[in-house]
Amino acid sequence: MNISTSMVVLIAVIGLFGIGLYCLLITRNLIRVLVGLQIMVKGAMLVLVFAGQSQGQPSLGQSMALTVIVADTIVAVVGLALAVQVKRSVGTLDIADISKLKR
Amino acid sequence: MLQLEPLVLITIFVPWIGALIVWLVGDKHDKVQHLFSVVFSVTAAISSIAMLWVYKTGTVLSFSMGSTYGDFTFITDGLGLFLSIVATVIGTLAIIFSVDYMHGSAQLGRYYSFVLFFIGAMVGLVLTSNLLLMFIFWEITALCSYALISFYNDDPKAVAGGMKALIMTQVGGLGLLLAAALLFAYTGNFDINIFISNPTLLPINILAIMAFGMLIAAAAKSAQFPFHTWLPDAMEAPSPISALIHAATMVNAGVYLLARFYPAFKDVPGWTISVMVVGMLSALMAALMSLVANDLKRVLAYSTVSQLGYMVYAVGAGGILASQFHLLSHSVFKALLFLAAGAVIHSVGTRDMREMGGLGKELPFARTVFIIGSLALAGIPIFNGFWSKELILETGLEHGNPVWIYVVMLIVAGLTALYTTRCVWMVFYGEKKLERPIHPVGRNMKIALIPLAIGAFSTWILIEPFSKMMSSSLPVHLIQEVNLTELFNQVIFAPATWIALAIIALGIMIWFGRGALNGIKQILKPIAGMAEASFGFDKINKFIVGSTQDLGEGLRITQTGKLNWNVFYILVALVVVFAVLMIGA
Repeated sequence: MNISTSMVVLIAVIGLFGIGLYCLLITRNLIRVLVGLQIMVKGAMLVLVFAGQSQGQPSLGQSMALTVIVADTIVAVVGLALAVQVKRSVGTLDIADISKLKR
Repeated sequence: MLQLEPLVLITIFVPWIGALIVWLVGDKHDKVQHLFSVVFSVTAAISSIAMLWVYKTGTVLSFSMGSTYGDFTFITDGLGLFLSIVATVIGTLAIIFSVDYMHGSAQLGRYYSFVLFFIGAMVGLVLTSNLLLMFIFWEITALCSYALISFYNDDPKAVAGGMKALIMTQVGGLGLLLAAALLFAYTGNFDINIFISNPTLLPINILAIMAFGMLIAAAAKSAQFPFHTWLPDAMEAPSPISALIHAATMVNAGVYLLARFYPAFKDVPGWTISVMVVGMLSALMAALMSLVANDLKRVLAYSTVSQLGYMVYAVGAGGILASQFHLLSHSVFKALLFLAAGAVIHSVGTRDMREMGGLGKELPFARTVFIIGSLALAGIPIFNGFWSKELILETGLEHGNPVWIYVVMLIVAGLTALYTTRCVWMVFYGEKKLERPIHPVGRNMKIALIPLAIGAFSTWILIEPFSKMMSSSLPVHLIQEVNLTELFNQVIFAPATWIALAIIALGIMIWFGRGALNGIKQILKPIAGMAEASFGFDKINKFIVGSTQDLGEGLRITQTGKLNWNVFYILVALVVVFAVLMIGA
């Protein structure tokens, strides 16, 4: 069976996205949630680059990916800052215990 | 010299600018706030009266808003102009009254801002001929009404009353929005006048949906059956607000809507009879409830619902002029009654009529004006309520309208006289029960009450210019001009009038002979009990509110607050979307 570049990329995308999603589904630690989220976003970035490449507009895809990197960094920073605050005020990072926003 | 276009803009926007300025002045300068509110409302009143000399048919002002919203057009025909004068003049009197009534009250800026904002919106509502713009003004008046009912926002009853009024009028707003959307979908613009002059542009079934949507809108706004329960609860508002919004202007918007669209909808099968039945049920039920209520303002609120029922009935019966003429009379005498009641309440510090009694000697001025208003409400000759109510009853017999509804309306006239007499008696006569000291009525209160008392005597003299304005500026409504002699002929020489007068006299006599009628009283006890429970409508309301809240509580289990579950739901949704796309492809 011939293995093309696009297949490799797609498998990588699905892999990254799946791992991230799985992480979000099962994990209870807030830091791990953020890590899972980051992994998912990396998969999404890869899709953007790949889509640009396959449509013959590589620069467009890459610039989109760059924008996502910037946004993603902010998400990571704010998320980690929140995690620190949660740890300080609640005393735990277990997301099952911090469902206070429900009410 | 007088230009119509600026006058329209002044009447709408001067109160709005005033609202902003009064709010910005700040609550520390309450004298300035009183002064500014009076100045701005008087300006609006003068400019709306000035329009009487220059009004014309057809579009006066038009602002292009692109193809999506249609042109924002304003018209000054008889219907709209007369209601804008009522709104600004009674608004001015209510504000002058407030100078004494709200004296020393906290957060005056909020109070006056909303009153002025309301006056401007009400004028806009009646002067625009763009249905979408009308809907926007319609909702602004509802919001102002909500804000002012809940003005004493540390009182839970006031907050609840405001919420109730807001929610119930929103149901009506949906009806109006539906009608507006349908009109736009089928004609491509929102212009009311084009629609009214040839309603056959729309298929008959669409026209029927619009007609009944408008009826729901009007019933909710005018507190008609089955939405009549919000108005009594709205009585937590300060008395000038009850006089302005919940007696003289906003609640009339529903009647205005029906009157405005009557030519378009009169051929929709079943519409006119539905309108008449809605009016009849409201008039009858509210009159019965008024008979057993003990809160002075609630009695007046029920009587407002009842009188609005007369107007709605008149529109259904084809008497646009009669309904609008009664609207004019009612605005004057009911504003008078509410303001006089406000003066009494302000003086004695309670609204419960059982605690009042014998106040006539202490408050001779309030007694005099209240009795003038009551006589007009009961429909005693010479007072304006008599002429307009008789005109409505006359209309009920014309055009082949059903006689049984007419008979019910006659009985309601008797009930009106009965509850009015009861109310006057309980407040001003009988034994004195209050030990508390009683404040005298303030000077500004008197300034506001005197013109209204004179109006309750005399507005019927205006029938000739009034009908002339209506007939000349509303070509499709087919309104006949009536002059004073014709009014005399129509009213005095009709046997219906004498029957009505006899029933009104009977109603008054029942009150004075109530001791002898104890046997009948016992028979009627169940009805009184039902009326006290507002015929079960409050229970229905509570049930609807309760079941909505229970549903919300039930749906709460879907919100686990756990991230893992939320991610899982997202995943499921994603799979579903993919599946749909696959099947679709």
